[in-house]
Amino acid sequence: MTATMLTGPDTQSPSIETRQHLQSPRTRSVLRIQQRLLAGAREYLVERGFAEMLPPMIGPVTDPGTRGSKQVDIDFYGHRYKLMTSAILYKQASLLAFDKIFCIVPCVRLEPLETASTSRHLAEFHQIDVEWAGASRDEVTALIQGLVQRMVAKVIAELPTEFDQLGRDVSVLTDLVAGTFGQRSHAQAVADLVALGHPQNPDGEIEWSGEALLSAHSRTPFFIVDYPKGSRGFYDRESTTSPGVLRNFDLIASDGYGELCSGGEREHDYARIVTRMRETGENPAKYGWYLELARQGIPASAGFGIGVERLTRFVAGLDAAWQASAFPKLPGVVSP
Amino acid sequence: MTTTAPGFAEAAVRERARSGTAALFPRLDDYGSALYGATAPAGDDLDRLRIAPPNFTDLRLEKLIDLGREPLYSDVELATEIGGFRSSLPVYLSAVGSTRAADTELIRQASRQAGAAGIPMVIGENVIGMSGYGRLDGLTGRSIVDRITAYRGELPDCLGGVTVQQNTEDADAELWNLVYSDPTALPLLESGRLAFELKIGQGAKPGLGGMTLVDRQTADRVGDVYHIEQLGSADQLLRSSTPGTFTAEILRQQIRLMRNNFPRALVWVKLIPGRDVAAAAEVAWAAGADAVTVDGAEGGTGWAPLAFLEHVGLPLADCLRLVDSRQRCLLASGRMWEGSRALKALALGARAVGLGRAALLSVDENPETGLRNLLACLATELRLLISAVGKYGPSQLSVEDLWTNQPTEGVPAPPATVGSSHG
Repeated sequence: MTATMLTGPDTQSPSIETRQHLQSPRTRSVLRIQQRLLAGAREYLVERGFAEMLPPMIGPVTDPGTRGSKQVDIDFYGHRYKLMTSAILYKQASLLAFDKIFCIVPCVRLEPLETASTSRHLAEFHQIDVEWAGASRDEVTALIQGLVQRMVAKVIAELPTEFDQLGRDVSVLTDLVAGTFGQRSHAQAVADLVALGHPQNPDGEIEWSGEALLSAHSRTPFFIVDYPKGSRGFYDRESTTSPGVLRNFDLIASDGYGELCSGGEREHDYARIVTRMRETGENPAKYGWYLELARQGIPASAGFGIGVERLTRFVAGLDAAWQASAFPKLPGVVSP
Repeated sequence: MTTTAPGFAEAAVRERARSGTAALFPRLDDYGSALYGATAPAGDDLDRLRIAPPNFTDLRLEKLIDLGREPLYSDVELATEIGGFRSSLPVYLSAVGSTRAADTELIRQASRQAGAAGIPMVIGENVIGMSGYGRLDGLTGRSIVDRITAYRGELPDCLGGVTVQQNTEDADAELWNLVYSDPTALPLLESGRLAFELKIGQGAKPGLGGMTLVDRQTADRVGDVYHIEQLGSADQLLRSSTPGTFTAEILRQQIRLMRNNFPRALVWVKLIPGRDVAAAAEVAWAAGADAVTVDGAEGGTGWAPLAFLEHVGLPLADCLRLVDSRQRCLLASGRMWEGSRALKALALGARAVGLGRAALLSVDENPETGLRNLLACLATELRLLISAVGKYGPSQLSVEDLWTNQPTEGVPAPPATVGSSHG
């Protein structure tokens, strides 16, 4: 990787001095790139008829499909509420108002301590979240490719001095803008990892180290599709023709940067949602408001969430995702 | 408060906790003056099985060749792999239900001594609800953090492990997520000594969900998630839920999700003593469970309707006969406290046995060393018994070491592989 450290002795346990971090020319360049990426996302999505929603930060229930991370409880007048781990439930509900929505949303997940050293996990981060009624997986993966290419093209064109400041070689990014994102199945990704000598549970999520390895062996971003049931939350739709296979995907960046985005077609049928909740160890009684909407009918849809700090890290060529946050919170590290 | 256990071998457990291995033998001052013989067998089908040493002991010859001297009972090696953990004994500390006894300082003492003995410890799913986790809610002396800290305090390197239960109905407590990201549990996680146990039913009340008595204020708060029923006085409300794993597919996917979400933790599954226990165990193992636990209907420490305590669930002996564990890890609990019952369970296919009530009684009798003493008795007794059948490790035990001449009518017959005087 071409980036160097912004602050601290290493990326494993950064000793982040807030003032130094915020006043660093490198941080300012990174944040300018991030701001322009978000502006590009808004332009692209609004041009295509997506309505920007302002999602709730708290609610009685949140996305449980977050690998091993703890939700944050808050006392809401005597009721246990949650900070949002993702906007998924509200995204599906928002389709009752508009067929195409997006939001730029904060997410809080108390990730396992081991993730503090993955260079790409933050306890607090942001997503560009999109949901599209009636869309198929192919339609949203095509949308993602167009969206990411627009965002990247915009920052390359408009912020050359920031890339110079960071020492980022943009040839990888120009290849991305001109190319096509590849696609492989989860089963193929498992086989690829095994061929590389990396053990991988065929029934589970691709492990972080495995994602990084596949990413390091690719020069362009690519999708992994068809994850097995048991690796994701209840809302990723199970294939009707291939039981046990989910109609979902991850977008993996090139050059070792790993996952940028997750998404898929959604379960929207009430009975299917309840059954899938049980398979993922969830108590439907918690999801009262959401299930009541589903019982009365919510649209079939597909959607995704792009990690803003991860995308910024990739585009700016940073060592770690925390460098793409003004006020980073690494798992287990007490910070402002 | 003195802990009691009506209907259990309380006096015998207390004697062992007081006296250590001396309690394995008749009173020493009676030696030479008293005649000893069998006492009337009481208890369940497992108790009624006899341990049957053979005249010919091929494995003892192997041991003699190996050692170059006469093999002794002390040569029996009890160290056992239990659900991915290395244990000094084929024994673990079971989760104990929501009894008041389990909610006292005694459970912390039991945790400490289990750690010192190098046996695994299971923490019940009810602990966070009753005693808290021990972070922002503060250390209570009985919280999960207290228990893990006590357990780790004297834990030998490379031995033992902590298993934390959660059931579907209480999943919103997010206990596993909390433990997996908690600094207290990190040394266990990093040394491969953390497991999560999916509890798909209640040992003391098979077929029902969790039941807890709550006050009015709590009932108002949780009434939209749990069923609430008034029992007697207005201050005593019964909070009930439903067992959450309905189908084989749901169990399979729940286990896969555990492996996916907690890749560095081991996965245990606790089944109820149901008529389909064999099929459920197969699903669990096939989905990747590192251990399957079965409480016999004799087991359980939790609060339960009287009818369930007396009449519901398969006896442990029948569960063990039904489940074909082969090389997979099957764990058994229910009225365990001494070597002969433990050996019978091991010979019927269990990898290890869990101590519940016996552990609580032992620390009630002797808070400092009661459980250590009880375990020392169990270990010595197991060595004596295993060597008596001509074997030198728990994994060598099999149904050939058991004998029954009392087939019980109306329940599944013992398989022909268990020795029987009825041929």
